[in-house]
Amino acid sequence: MKTRKLAIIGIVATLIFQACKKEETNNVATPDSGEFGVSVSGKIVTVKNMYADTILGIGAMGPYGAGKFTFFNLSTNSIVPNSDSATTNWDLAFGGTTIRVNNVTSGPGNGGAFVYNGTFDALTAVPADSTFKVDNAPASYAITKGSGKGWYNYDGPNNLVTAIPGRVLVVKTANGKYAKVEILNYYKGGITPSSTASDSTKSYTSRFYKFRYTYQADGSMNF
Amino acid sequence: MKVGITILFFSVSCILKTAIAQTDSLKPDYKSLNEIVVTSNKREVLENRVAVPVQIIKGKTILQAGSLRLKDILQEQAGLYLTNGFGTGVQMQGLNPDYTLILLNGEPLIGRTAGVLDLNRIGLSNIKRIEIVKGPASSLYGSEAMAGVINIITEKPIGKSAQLTARYGFGNPNTGWALPIGQNSFKQSDINFTGNTSFGKMAIRYNLNGFYNDAISFRPYSTDRIPQPIERLSNQVSLEYPIHSKTTFTMLVRDAWDHYKQQFSVNNNGSVSTSYGKEVNHDLNINPVLKHVFNSKVTSTLRLYGSFFRGYQKLSFSDKPDSSYIDDFRQKFYRAENQTDFSFQKHHLTLGAGYISDKAASTRYDNISNEKSNRIGYIFSQHEWEIKKRWVLTSGFRYDHHQLFTAAFSPKLSVKYNLNNKNAFHFSIGRGFKAPDFRQLYLNFTNTAAGGYTVLGAVDAIKVIQQLQANGQILEIKDDFSRLANLNPEYSTGINLGGNIKPHKNLKMEFNFFRNDVSGLIDARQVATKINGGQIFSYININKAFTLGGEINTTLNIRHGFTISAGYQFLNTGDKEEVSKIKKGLIFTRNNDGTSRTLLLSEYRGLAARSTHMANLKGSWEIEKGHFANIRFLYRSGWYVTDKDGNGVYNSGDEKAKGNLIINCATGRKIGKKTMITLGIDNLLNYQDVTYLPNLQGRMIYTSINYTFK
Repeated sequence: MKTRKLAIIGIVATLIFQACKKEETNNVATPDSGEFGVSVSGKIVTVKNMYADTILGIGAMGPYGAGKFTFFNLSTNSIVPNSDSATTNWDLAFGGTTIRVNNVTSGPGNGGAFVYNGTFDALTAVPADSTFKVDNAPASYAITKGSGKGWYNYDGPNNLVTAIPGRVLVVKTANGKYAKVEILNYYKGGITPSSTASDSTKSYTSRFYKFRYTYQADGSMNF
Repeated sequence: MKVGITILFFSVSCILKTAIAQTDSLKPDYKSLNEIVVTSNKREVLENRVAVPVQIIKGKTILQAGSLRLKDILQEQAGLYLTNGFGTGVQMQGLNPDYTLILLNGEPLIGRTAGVLDLNRIGLSNIKRIEIVKGPASSLYGSEAMAGVINIITEKPIGKSAQLTARYGFGNPNTGWALPIGQNSFKQSDINFTGNTSFGKMAIRYNLNGFYNDAISFRPYSTDRIPQPIERLSNQVSLEYPIHSKTTFTMLVRDAWDHYKQQFSVNNNGSVSTSYGKEVNHDLNINPVLKHVFNSKVTSTLRLYGSFFRGYQKLSFSDKPDSSYIDDFRQKFYRAENQTDFSFQKHHLTLGAGYISDKAASTRYDNISNEKSNRIGYIFSQHEWEIKKRWVLTSGFRYDHHQLFTAAFSPKLSVKYNLNNKNAFHFSIGRGFKAPDFRQLYLNFTNTAAGGYTVLGAVDAIKVIQQLQANGQILEIKDDFSRLANLNPEYSTGINLGGNIKPHKNLKMEFNFFRNDVSGLIDARQVATKINGGQIFSYININKAFTLGGEINTTLNIRHGFTISAGYQFLNTGDKEEVSKIKKGLIFTRNNDGTSRTLLLSEYRGLAARSTHMANLKGSWEIEKGHFANIRFLYRSGWYVTDKDGNGVYNSGDEKAKGNLIINCATGRKIGKKTMITLGIDNLLNYQDVTYLPNLQGRMIYTSINYTFK
């Protein structure tokens, strides 16, 4: 009799607790094919899986790539061969988490950039009081290197790089035109691996940029 | 040597286990509102004078729950959340483990790592009761009593008797119930001996406790044994000597050892390196107390306390056999305190003064031979005023003068209203503080592996950076550097409003609403950059945070010794700077397509690792004297663990650890007059979460036998 009472209480309690277990719905996105691609929709160009010195192996000193940047031209929406690195044919160069602009120590162009805090859509013009910075490697970069300082956060315990939401790279191209760029993701397929994924998975799927941008060809500061 | 004794004990008694011997004379909770509480007012008072939320865990409850370590019983309380990392800490009213003071008979336990006092270090073998006082108590207890105080009260010598308890438990987390104890099962054993005797007027109690927990590997892709194999041994002697009719001398000596066998593998970019070694903790507490009753109005107590802690770790590496890592931390804490109580008809005045000398040395500081020291002198005063029988107004303050930083002033005011002998309400407002600890002042740690960053305590940072600057090794000094000179205590203001009500003679309810506003929270920030790019971090007062919530505990006595109790806590927390940034639209998150948008305040989830809902439901059945059964359901909702979108705050899209339900049950029966047998199952559902709760072993079945020598 008393045992039955206990059992009933147990069942009721379990039901109450289970009812409390409403999980919040997390944003779930599905990965793309993992292939490099460029798509244009109105003024916005989206680049997927742009390799940026992707990982070739994991050695004693950590994961390593070939040590080569990938050069990109914002006006032609295309990758520029590395042989053109000393020309004004490229606007942004990607290698690991470092993004270079075509100026001073990085190239012969008239480029520059700064990191703007706000959303891509809300940024309709380069703010009037803006100062474009240039690369002075290795001391400083137009797009500041380091976790939490430029476009990304690095979560050490989980070994993951996350593009900070609400960061827009306002870019002056090699030829002095303007563009706004938002880095969307740093991993293959446009999906950040789970924090519980292996370090090897995290390394090999990293350095695949997904980003979108609007390029203003007429030389004005409006997007 | 001590470890050797432990092993000897375990090998003798591997089939059995421990619990605590308790007298059965304790009356059940529901019969009276008027229990005696010692922690809330720093003296023995009846509960109807206590104007702050207090929770009492009796020895019998601990015994019947089969709890061995302080962690085991605290995790069964609705308002307490246990944290992982640097051992098991306790989060009270949503504040980190750093801000709860843990006392043994009113004296602080020391030896915290990164602010956490590992609750596993404290055995429950000799405990009479545990009092948990919530809300700031710095007006009586000083530093660390910001969220509250947990006071562990040891058993006093009782007559002439002896008890032996032995317990053995095991489990197999992979297969659940599988009985054969093999490679994949874990074992736990505990043995406990208590003897009471007297020599003339002097009464003595001796308690010996040995604990062993083996471990298994159930983390995928890993051979690491978590938790690591642990041996613990403690000796406690308490004595009571009435010098004459008005003067009593009591003393507790506690000597506790922990020994962890460590072996773990680190997969460093494909190459596995194994580290192996040991960690040894030693804790010694000596607490002589002299109490003199001058007359019916004046009582004076002199408390002396010395506590010594050493944490030593030595690791060797499979790939570097010639080198080893040694981590050594030693702390010495001395305190002398006098408290004098004056009792008049409607007034009670408590006056006290004390002096603390706190010393630490560590390999984590600049040099282990360079002992760091802080001295604190303090006074406190508390006035209780009974107004028109129903009201009790308590006001008090404490003033702590620190050698190393600004003095702290901690006032507190509380009101108790006893509507009748069934219903009472309380309100209190007080200030709590936590002084910067030695780590925040003197840490000197450089990580050569990950980019060569350095973390320095605030005092050392100024010296070291100025030295480096003189040598031309500093690239830049950050603005925060100028704030290092003024590292101050962290302060909080806590408000508690609640009551104890008894709607029916068998139903008792306690509720409390709280809010804590904390300012000057100490956090590590970058203060300088070296020429080689290495970042230098140090500690400054930076954040402001709040925690608010409500807690309710209900006990219903049905009949025939059958009691149901339920507890629930709701918690909401936040960092004030984060809230202000969100309100200004400066924090963003991502849409499903990866594009950014402004984060809404409604999506903000406050501080990390907090469960919004915590609840428990317990059924307890005292079938007849010495025959009990109970089942406890413990639930906590999920908590945020990873800032998935990288916006620096925890919001609804971030990664969350799953909420969980743990069920524990136990039953015990007395056989004859001298023997008691207990059988229990912890974690009945075999719940496991290897990622976020690595120390939660699977289902464990245990049995214990207790024998009383008379």
